[in-house]
Amino acid sequence: MKHVITLKVNGDFHEVLISPNQTLLEVLRDKLGLMGTKRGCDLGACGACTVLIDGEAYLSCILLAMDATEKEIVTIEGLSENGELHPLQQSFVEVGGLQCGFCTPGIVMTAKAILDEERNPTEESVKKKMAGNLCRCTGYKKVIEAVMSVPGRKEGQR
Amino acid sequence: MRLPKFDYRRPESIQEASAILLEDPSARVLSGGTDLLVNMKYKVETPATIVSLKSLSELNYIRLANGTLRIGALTPLKIVYNDAFVAQKLPALAIAAASVGSYHHQVMGTIGGNLCQQTRCKYFNQSKWWRSSREICFKAGGEMCHVAKKEHVCYSTYCGDVAPALLVLNAEVVLTGKAGSKQVSLESIFSGEGKTPLKLEPGQILTEIFIPEQAADGFSTYKKFANRESIDFPIVGAAFWTSRTSLESRVALTAVDRKPLRARQLEDFMKGKRLGGEVIEAVDGLVAKEARLMMSSTDSISLKRQLMGRLVKGAIREAMGGV
Repeated sequence: MKHVITLKVNGDFHEVLISPNQTLLEVLRDKLGLMGTKRGCDLGACGACTVLIDGEAYLSCILLAMDATEKEIVTIEGLSENGELHPLQQSFVEVGGLQCGFCTPGIVMTAKAILDEERNPTEESVKKKMAGNLCRCTGYKKVIEAVMSVPGRKEGQR
Repeated sequence: MRLPKFDYRRPESIQEASAILLEDPSARVLSGGTDLLVNMKYKVETPATIVSLKSLSELNYIRLANGTLRIGALTPLKIVYNDAFVAQKLPALAIAAASVGSYHHQVMGTIGGNLCQQTRCKYFNQSKWWRSSREICFKAGGEMCHVAKKEHVCYSTYCGDVAPALLVLNAEVVLTGKAGSKQVSLESIFSGEGKTPLKLEPGQILTEIFIPEQAADGFSTYKKFANRESIDFPIVGAAFWTSRTSLESRVALTAVDRKPLRARQLEDFMKGKRLGGEVIEAVDGLVAKEARLMMSSTDSISLKRQLMGRLVKGAIREAMGGV
């Protein structure tokens, strides 16, 4: 049986008709056209599909869309404001924290959750929390550098 | 990978959830989803009904009263290990919860769901396409166990990190069903059967974890060896607790049998003895006898046996320095 649900994504409410077996990832990409969130392993092992649910890093490929109602969902599309990149995104651009870019949306969303949780995380903490985001190109060094050099990180502003 | 089709139910109370489970024996409970939904994508579990517990936020709590701790089953692992009392007084639980999967799994996964996770096997945790090269295994609905090469048995392995930690802390769990709630030892809910690893009555749901006062009055730790330290299931995991006031210790192992195991022979040997050379020397021989190791993963039995001894000895040495 299909259900009509309301999802709040990047501040906007969307009413969608879905089957209960659809994951949030499928609804974001196929119903809402938000292609920034990537389908990697589709089994919750690679982190490419990371989105924020009420500020926490969730794997949207193993979250039922039905269970994502009444939550604040933020995807990579929701970070920039008025065409301006979020400082975190800007930092990835400046440091060169990506190569092919497929894992980047997931990595940026995880980084956002980390920086929202800890005002001034240590490199060790960032590495530990980022371990679930796999990247097959860059080898993580510049990824960690990008997170560690976000402007305002030390002052806790971002 | 698409999830198979199912009916979705979102009960407003635990009694309602229990009633749905009684009505439909094939229904499965969904909490964090990091285990069940992956198995469903692999089509090794295809429940007709999913009972989502997402509305039951009243089961997300950590309460400390008179030295005993009660943790709601739907408390995320991240909340568990960030709790000040758990981090300071029950380090085995904090370390174990923080070693589950990746950060994302710790955010999504709940402590109750972690305890109730499915057992794992190299012939079971595979896609339908991978599994199609041989007949369906017993656990996935067929006849044959490819590990034991026998019919109607299952040697899949329990790989949860949190269970051994809670076993050494002598934790109990509250099971809630239609008839009400009862508190039983954590150890008693594991059947030791690979096919159905949990021994719950129809309609019963694990709703709370209870940790007695004595657990906080000791040294405890959890040691894990995995392929990738930060994100993998354990090849072997070992939890250790030793009292500060009496010569009593408890040891539990994971990923070595069809259920998380208390190493009772070693515990009996340690009773009344100070931790030291004599105990350390006895570890390898005594823990090896506890587990029925099988080739249910790609790691060899001899590696697992070595790791059991090494991890337990590491924990005891740490306790000798720390108590």
